[in-house]
Amino acid sequence: MTRFGLDDSSVFVVIGSGAAGGTLSNELAQKGHKVVCLEAGPRLSLADVVNDEAVMFDKLTWLDRRMATGKPDPNFPVWSCKTVGGTTMHWTGACPRIEPHEMRARTTYGEMPDTTLVDWPVTPEEIAPWYDKAEIRMGVSGKHGLPFLPAGNNTKVLEAGARLCGYTDIDTHNMAINSVERDDRPACQQLGFCTSGCAVGAKWSTLYTEIPKAEETGRFELRPEAMVTAVNLDDAGRVESVTYLHKGKPVTQKCRAVSVAGNVVETTRLLLNNRSERFPNGLANSSGWVGRNYMRHFTIQVMGVMPGKVNFHRQTHLAGVVRDERAHKPERGFAGGFLISTVPFTPEILAKNMMIGGWGDELTSVLDKYDHLAGMLLTGEDPPQLSNGITLHPTEKDGYGLPIPVIHYEDHPNTIAMKTYAWAAGRRIYEALGAEKIVEMGDYIPATHNMGTARMGTDPKTSVCTTYGRTHDIENLFVSDGSLFPTSAGCNPTLTIVALVLRQAEHIDREIRAGRL
Amino acid sequence: MTSVSMTRRGAVRSIALAATLPLACGKVMAAAAGAVDGRIATTAALLGVAFPHSRLTPGYYRGVAETYVKEIAAKPAAISEHDRGLALLDANHIAPFAALPPVIQKGLVEKVDQEPFFKAMLWRGAELVYRDRSVWKMVGYEGSSLEYGGYRDRGFNDIDWLPKPGAKA
Repeated sequence: MTRFGLDDSSVFVVIGSGAAGGTLSNELAQKGHKVVCLEAGPRLSLADVVNDEAVMFDKLTWLDRRMATGKPDPNFPVWSCKTVGGTTMHWTGACPRIEPHEMRARTTYGEMPDTTLVDWPVTPEEIAPWYDKAEIRMGVSGKHGLPFLPAGNNTKVLEAGARLCGYTDIDTHNMAINSVERDDRPACQQLGFCTSGCAVGAKWSTLYTEIPKAEETGRFELRPEAMVTAVNLDDAGRVESVTYLHKGKPVTQKCRAVSVAGNVVETTRLLLNNRSERFPNGLANSSGWVGRNYMRHFTIQVMGVMPGKVNFHRQTHLAGVVRDERAHKPERGFAGGFLISTVPFTPEILAKNMMIGGWGDELTSVLDKYDHLAGMLLTGEDPPQLSNGITLHPTEKDGYGLPIPVIHYEDHPNTIAMKTYAWAAGRRIYEALGAEKIVEMGDYIPATHNMGTARMGTDPKTSVCTTYGRTHDIENLFVSDGSLFPTSAGCNPTLTIVALVLRQAEHIDREIRAGRL
Repeated sequence: MTSVSMTRRGAVRSIALAATLPLACGKVMAAAAGAVDGRIATTAALLGVAFPHSRLTPGYYRGVAETYVKEIAAKPAAISEHDRGLALLDANHIAPFAALPPVIQKGLVEKVDQEPFFKAMLWRGAELVYRDRSVWKMVGYEGSSLEYGGYRDRGFNDIDWLPKPGAKA
């Protein structure tokens, strides 16, 4: 195991080990640079992953206190992970690309009141080759010669109903789940516990892909259970070290440069909580935009009690997709679009989600038909609003002594219109197959797609980072996660995070070789 | 959540009000005699109203009630809030809550379903009931398949009732 000295200022420090941090760490190590990755959570092994949602929720989830105002659950607004691998442990593996028309959001959608809608500063043409690299690296099904995953029952129901409704752009999705054995990992065995960690490692997670590959280079050190509390600047305003808590004790690691990849909430908290004379409003926050424009995609569901058995728990969670509503069709009454995907629930989670609206027969008559249920998840574009954001609680602290993050989020009218349309579209799909009963479920799953709070752009007054994710204010401080997204698009963000990170790694490599970092 | 459940609530409330007096009177004596452990009995009845499954027995709900009460007994604030809530249900001057007919119980619970004691019991009750392997079996949830090599060869794609492609709805 490689170990770097705390005084070694030639190391590049990456904060977080998920899709962004794990990938950036490996990519920099592969390019010959020394990397220390600081991860707040523990390092599990595949043997720690069991097929029990309640057990894995406790093992994987970021459970330190968070608060919310507005629409989200006031005590559990965000569902992220605190473990090596980050949210790549509990993600579904869905890898849609952001569509070119979505990257040109302002141009496509036009003026939208109360939003900070912009076109991405990285063009679709510029990001396309990085999407290719990301898909090949992650082994995305249905891309670059890899077969699609097979269709299971829940997918077959969705597809049959959707075709009766006239939809045609339907398949088993592009998934970072092995459809064949590759990369020393097996093909998907249809365990049905994707969001609890993949026990066989068929799903791409940095825990058993990027991290061990980085370790093999001999230029990488992972430090789990290292909760970063401070990013320290020298007199010239450059980052010189990072301080973290390990088993309650502060440790300071010198460094060449830092990238923050803590998933949006933690990235924001770290920046905002590091105030100084130079940055009275938080690190790299001369714009005042750190923590603002928080976006999160709605995730609503439609369940159908079908005429025959479905057994939707017997397959990959997000195992089929209908893309027809992803397009921008303003005649629907909203801008942007949404994806329709399969989703299963365990009886417990189904009950908890349904219970928000009621109890009694309305709940149990659906649970009694559990094996007849088909389920779909509808997720759509969330426009950026300056008023949606993450701040620090003025007095409340967590177990690390850090101020508790407070998330404020409200739906934009465009989102409400899209949700109303999406519920009806989903309902029609199951009705077309003669569903006995349809249950429309609300936007109650805590946010897993977090974006926008350190957006990239070309104007330092209205963005936090450059198009390579370097902060405008500090030349050796980077952000690598979904915080960079200027808009959210109507699809899962992880593939785009990885593509941007690969592009960022090439930029960092060039800067180091040119002596600028 | 759903427009369906809101409609149901309105309907249940009016039915319950209309039905309260004539249905309840005969139950008074039986209930008074059976009130050995009112806390468990009322909690069990409440769980039966919240999670009514015809295939679960009164004994099943009683078992869940015992587990729940035991769990919160160590937390003074929680047990005191729970008892406060049960008292609201038992204070109907007709009969103990557990002795009332289901339709009246539902009407009474409608009035307290935003109370903290009820929300807490609902949340934990869902875990106790729907994490139970016997309930999984009852509703058809098969849980972990890891030890059998996944569902790949155990019916993940065995659906046989869908219309053939090209068929009309």
